[in-house]
Order: sequence, then structure tokens, then C-alpha cells
Amino acid sequence: MTDEPLLAIENLSVSLPRGGDRQFAVENVSLAVRRNEIVCLVGESGSGKSITAHAVLRLLPPALHVAGGAIRFKDTDLATADEGAMRALRGGQISMIFQEPLSALNPLTRVGQQIAEAIVTHAGAKLYRSELDARVVELIAAVGLPDPPALARSYPFQLSGGQRQRIMIAIAMANEPALLLADEPTTALDVTTQKQILGLIRKLQAERGMGVLFITHDFGVVADIADRVVVMRNGCVVEQGTVDEVLRAPKNDYTKALIAAVPGGRPPTTHSQALGSDPLLEARGLNKVFASRQGAFRPVRRVPTVQDVALTLRPRETVAIVGESGSGKSTLARMVMRLIEPDTGSIDFDGVDFLKLKGAQLRAMRRKVQIVFQDPFAALDPRQKVGEAIARGPMTYGTPAVEAIADAKRLLARVGLKESAYERYPHEFSGGQRQRICIARAIALKPLVLVADEAVSALDVSVQQHILELLAELREEMNLAMLFITHDLRVASEIADRIVVMRRGEIVEQGETQSVFGAPQHAYTRELLEAIPGRSLFGRPHEPSANVCFA
Amino acid sequence: MKNLASFLRHPAGVIGLVILTGVVVLAIVAPTLFPVDPWDMVAAPFQPPFDGETWLGSDMLGRDVAACIAYGARVSLLIGVSSTLAALAIGVTVGAVAGYFGGRVDDFLMRFVELFQTIPGFILAILLVATLGPSLTNVILAIGAVSWPQLARLTRAEFLRLRSREFVQAAVCQGQPPMSVVLRHILPNAVSPIIVTGSLMIASSILIESALSFMGLGDPNLMSWGFMIGASRSVMRQAWWMSVFPGVAIFLTVLAINLVGEGLNDTLNPRLSRKARGA
Repeated sequence: MTDEPLLAIENLSVSLPRGGDRQFAVENVSLAVRRNEIVCLVGESGSGKSITAHAVLRLLPPALHVAGGAIRFKDTDLATADEGAMRALRGGQISMIFQEPLSALNPLTRVGQQIAEAIVTHAGAKLYRSELDARVVELIAAVGLPDPPALARSYPFQLSGGQRQRIMIAIAMANEPALLLADEPTTALDVTTQKQILGLIRKLQAERGMGVLFITHDFGVVADIADRVVVMRNGCVVEQGTVDEVLRAPKNDYTKALIAAVPGGRPPTTHSQALGSDPLLEARGLNKVFASRQGAFRPVRRVPTVQDVALTLRPRETVAIVGESGSGKSTLARMVMRLIEPDTGSIDFDGVDFLKLKGAQLRAMRRKVQIVFQDPFAALDPRQKVGEAIARGPMTYGTPAVEAIADAKRLLARVGLKESAYERYPHEFSGGQRQRICIARAIALKPLVLVADEAVSALDVSVQQHILELLAELREEMNLAMLFITHDLRVASEIADRIVVMRRGEIVEQGETQSVFGAPQHAYTRELLEAIPGRSLFGRPHEPSANVCFA
Repeated sequence: MKNLASFLRHPAGVIGLVILTGVVVLAIVAPTLFPVDPWDMVAAPFQPPFDGETWLGSDMLGRDVAACIAYGARVSLLIGVSSTLAALAIGVTVGAVAGYFGGRVDDFLMRFVELFQTIPGFILAILLVATLGPSLTNVILAIGAVSWPQLARLTRAEFLRLRSREFVQAAVCQGQPPMSVVLRHILPNAVSPIIVTGSLMIASSILIESALSFMGLGDPNLMSWGFMIGASRSVMRQAWWMSVFPGVAIFLTVLAINLVGEGLNDTLNPRLSRKARGA
């Protein structure tokens, strides 16, 4: 590590357009990235971390402008450099990788060609075809993809999310950059893939002595990858230092709160009453195959999504269904809701076969099982007042309007919002507040079962903590049984009594939370547990005090 | 209110709205402005415009061209609006049913829509009016019958998009019956593009009506712009005013409606409009 910084951001301010909720998106930010080190820029949504990284390459949205400060890369001031010089730097000396590799790749061009394009754009002299091909194959091999010549000929849609992100990294590496900007590159990936990608970035960085500015919201990822950490809040840097200083002995209160909010470190929630003994909901032999027609004369494509799944839920019990994307956990939840009809199987729910019900009987039963969705922005009708969204459910079942409205106001207060929220529209609320509204809407019908489909996954970690607490409280107050769908094992460990691990549509392991996390039986469960980021610092779920020394 | 304010910031839309208001006012005050029946002879035939007793001259039978245009505005607007309403009633219903229920129902209804789309619209309209007889109701029905497939497809696409949205699923889980889900949650979120397409459809309906009248298939009791042009086409070289003024009336009205429609589009669907606004 040399002391001379590669990238030095000095007192950078980026102004927001008038009428925003604050004057600057980023205010007086100073940070430095040296050669051969990874600096993590960490913060919650709206903290200005992405804006800071985008300002380095001058990729700010048109309404935002650099209002002051300097961005020095080697000897160039990027805030004042002309457009030609910036073009030469982008993808050359400074590369960037993004969160969503599918939208960052051109869907109609073979990936090999996209890597070649990055080389040709910055090549001074004309390259021979064979030289170029060799370089592309070499890059694909360097990011750890199998059979590089064949892979170069594939299109982005033929690759998995992790493979696409590797291709994006290959493109970023094409011109031996000195600095890599990584904007949440693993957020959209599964936890096992995330582990591989983080390892790859670490390896490439060490081999090439690159400086990396790594943006993330996840302290687990920070603990795994960073040399130094910069914590941002509301556009300002609140704390920076080496990873050990910041994560093990944070000085700033906000940093302390953020680290404390990382799920899994707190003791699991407890029940005030014993769980029921007879199953409330018992699903048997559930199967679902999605069939898609690919034109009149071609065979129907069949994707088995859920295969022979059996699930029981006792009164007041919380069962977490964990698994990676494509494991069929959301499809299972939607089958329990009867939003998706299973091909075969039965669901005994509160004494009746739920799957056989139709029409009025089905509607009468629906109120007993309610759902909270992942994305609170999509789950509320933008043209319906918040209070009406909550009161509408009970009104459908014959509650008089006056009573339903009073009830809705009481519920809004219960989930931590003001009663005046009743008259307002969803766009006036933040993500966490909207999720509270969604919870109020679900419990307004006094259900027996609450399905939470990744209900805290889209939220910032501090908001996540509050929503989990709220759910745990409501569970006790209303005697709810919960089916908690999540990909985050730490979250599952905090709230669940029992864990069900799914992979490719099948249940591979289930059991009490303690035993599944403490002594996992199936290899896949162990793989999932191994892949949780930041285990060195935060420990495994149910093992709060981690005294493992830092590597 | 916010929509109105942002519509008023759209210059082309405001120009369109001003012209359109002019046409509507003309249609309303026609009987006061021209108390005589537009079909009556009021002057010598072939009087040129801007001199003598008529403003815009007289036609081959001595009818007042200005009066004809004023009364024609009533017919054009009436037919434009009511045939669009007819098309909306059919198109939105068919599209909503197809998009909400999907599957076989959707397949069947879409084949039916395609059947209509394969027949050239104007020829179907001629056929319908010629068979049913040229009356106001039949003209409206004929225009409605050729315009609805476009609205059906649009409504279906919006319904397909919205029906898998989570807030719609949440409403289903709340136990709301299908009718309530459609009317409370899907339709209100689909209404903006339907309004825009509907407003542009008024313009095309006016054009179809003019073309039908030009061919002599309009209601024989109603004065219409298309009929005026059709009747005077044989004397166009001697008396230009007889066809030019109703032509200008059609042009201005259709232009105005299109400008208003575009203004509505930019106001109601800001994300789809051509002018990208800063995020």
C-alpha cells in the first residue's frame, strides 16, 4: 500500500434541484482510495453513496450538478476535466460495475463482442482479430467462467445472474483499470453467488493492485471485503477509518445504530404463550409446474417450480421458508394464499380443504390468511387513500363503514403512524412507512395466518429492525401464525420458531431454528450458512458473540 | 387540479384547447347566429365570400356557407363524441374482460378483435351505413363499430399489466369480489391512456363522418362539412369557397383535438411522453 492516493475526493458537494427535501445530495464529502486497497462506501438508501461514485465518472443525472470541491484521480481533476478526457478515462483507467447486470448488458449482442468492444474503444492501435479474440478469452477465464471460447458466443439471457456479473467484471477489467467503482455489485445476487463474486473482486484487486471503491448497504459485505470504510448519512460522511476501527469500535452513534441493527445479532423473539399443538394449516403434496407456450407448433416448456411440498403451521407459530431465488418459496406462499392454483395437493386450513373452496365460500375463508408483499411501493394502489386501503377489507366482509374507518385509524396508530395518515395517498410515505401500512391492511381482517413474502428485504437495515419488531409484537397480540418467506438467514433466525430450507422447488431440510442453524444436516443448508457475508464479525445466526480474529 | 395546471403549461395543448373551444361555441350559438335553416336559400347562388349579404359566400343553391359550417360543427362534434363513447363502451368492456380473465376467454375475444382489425375500417363503415340506411344513429354505430378494436387492445394490455401487480393481488386477498377489484383498482390505474386514445379517436371519428357524408352516406336531414365538400366538388374550379371553408373547418377541428390529446398525453402519462423530464 502506498500512501499517495489514487483517487482523492475533497469537499465534494453535489446540489439537488430546488424543491428537493435537502439542498445537497452530497455535502462536503472527502475520501481517498489508494492503490491496492478496497474502500467501502456504506450507508442506507438516500445517503448519497451512489451519487458520490457516479460523480467520479461524471455520470450524474441531468438535474444534479457538482456544486463544489475537487475529485482528483492521479493528476487530473475530474470535476473540471473536459468531456474527451473523461471518455478516455471511463472504461479505461476507471471502470464501473453496476447492481443489475442484466440491464447493464446489451441483450442483443454476444457477451464476447461486448468485452471486445470495451477493448477496441480504448485501443490506441488497430488490433488483429486473433489478438482481440485471445484477449477476450483470457478475460473470461480470469473472471472464473468455464469454457471461455463457448461462453464468449452466448447472449446475456443465456447466462445466470452470477455469470452476467462476472461478464460485467470482465468488461471492467478489459483495460487494466487502476480504479474500479463497484455500485452494489452483489445486491441483486443470491447469497452463495455473492460470496463467489466478492471473492473474485478481492482476487482481481490483489493481483492487479487496483484501488476499489465498493458501494454497499450491507455491513456483512463490508466486513468481508473492505480495508477501509466510509459511512455516509444524508449526504455527509459521518465516520471513516479502517474496517476494524469502524466495525468493532464505532465512534459515531449512527454507525453504532446501523451495526446494532444488522439482524441475527439480537436474541430471537420469544412467545408470551405456548404454541398450539394441532396444526392450523397443513399442506400436503403441493406441486406446481409452470408451462409456457412457445408458439403453436413447438412443444410446451415446463418448469417445475414446487415439487411435492408438505408444510405444517401450528397456531401462533412462525415458520421461515428460506432459499435462494428460483427455489419456489414465493410460489409456495402464493399457493397458500390461493393467488396461484397448485396442480396437485391439498391444504387443510382451519378444518376445511382450502383448495376445494369456490366463490363465496372462498371469499369468506380468504380473510383468515393475509399477505404482506416485498415491495411496499408496488403493494399499495397509488390512487387509493391509505385509510381506505385498510378499511376496505373489513367493509367487504360486512363491517359498517363507520366502524371500519375507526378501526383503520386505530390500526394506523398501532403500526406507528399518525391517524391523519388515513386521508393521505401512498406516495407521501417512505418505504418503511408504506410497509407499516401494508401490515395494517393485512391485520385489519384479523387473520389467523400472516404470510410475509420477503416483507423486510427491500428495506434499509434500521427500518428492517423496526418492522421485524412490529411483526413480532403483533404476532403475540393477535395470536398470529406466520409464514415468513426470506432469503436472509439472519432475519429468519431472529423471528422464526421453525426453518424450512428450499432448493429448486423442494424442501431439503426443516426443523427447529436452533437445530437447523446449530447443526445443519443437509449440505445445501451448510453452504447457505457459510455464504452469509460478514460471519467473521457478526457470527453465525444464534451465535451472537463472535470473537473470531480478523484476517 | 395539479393535472390542469400542468396541462396549461403545455403550449400546443392550450392552442388546441382554444381552437376547440371556438368550434364548440360556434356549434352552440349556431341557431342564434343564423336563425334560418341552413338548408334554406338565402341569397343568389354562387355568391363569392366577403361581399354581399353572406360572410363566406353562397353555394350552388344559394345556401349560406357560413351558416352551413356553423350547423355542420354541431353534427361533427355530436358524431365525433358519441361514436367515441360507443367505441369506448364496447372496447373497454371487451378489453377488460379479456385482460382480467385471460386464458381461453382472452384467446377467444382477441381472435374476435382481430377479425374486425383485418377488415379495412372505412369500407366496413360504408357497408354498415349502406345496409342499415343513412341516419344519425346508424352513422354513429358504424363509426363506433370500426373504432373499438384499438381501444379493446389498449385496455387489455393495461389490464394484463395491472392484474399481476401486488396491490391488485392484495385487493383479491382482502376478499374483494372481481367487479370491485376491476372498478376500484385496475380501471382507475388504466384510465389515463384510455382517455388519451379516446380523445384522439374523436378526431378520427370526425374524419370518418366527413368521408361518409362526402360519399353521400351522411344523414340527409343534417348539414355536415363532408356533405358540403362532396356537393361542391364538381364546381370547385368556379367556386373554391364552397369546398375550402368546410375543409378548413375539418382541418382546424381535427388539429385542435389532436393537440389537446397530445397535451393530455404529456400531462397524464408523463413517463411515456416524448419529452423526457429530469428524474
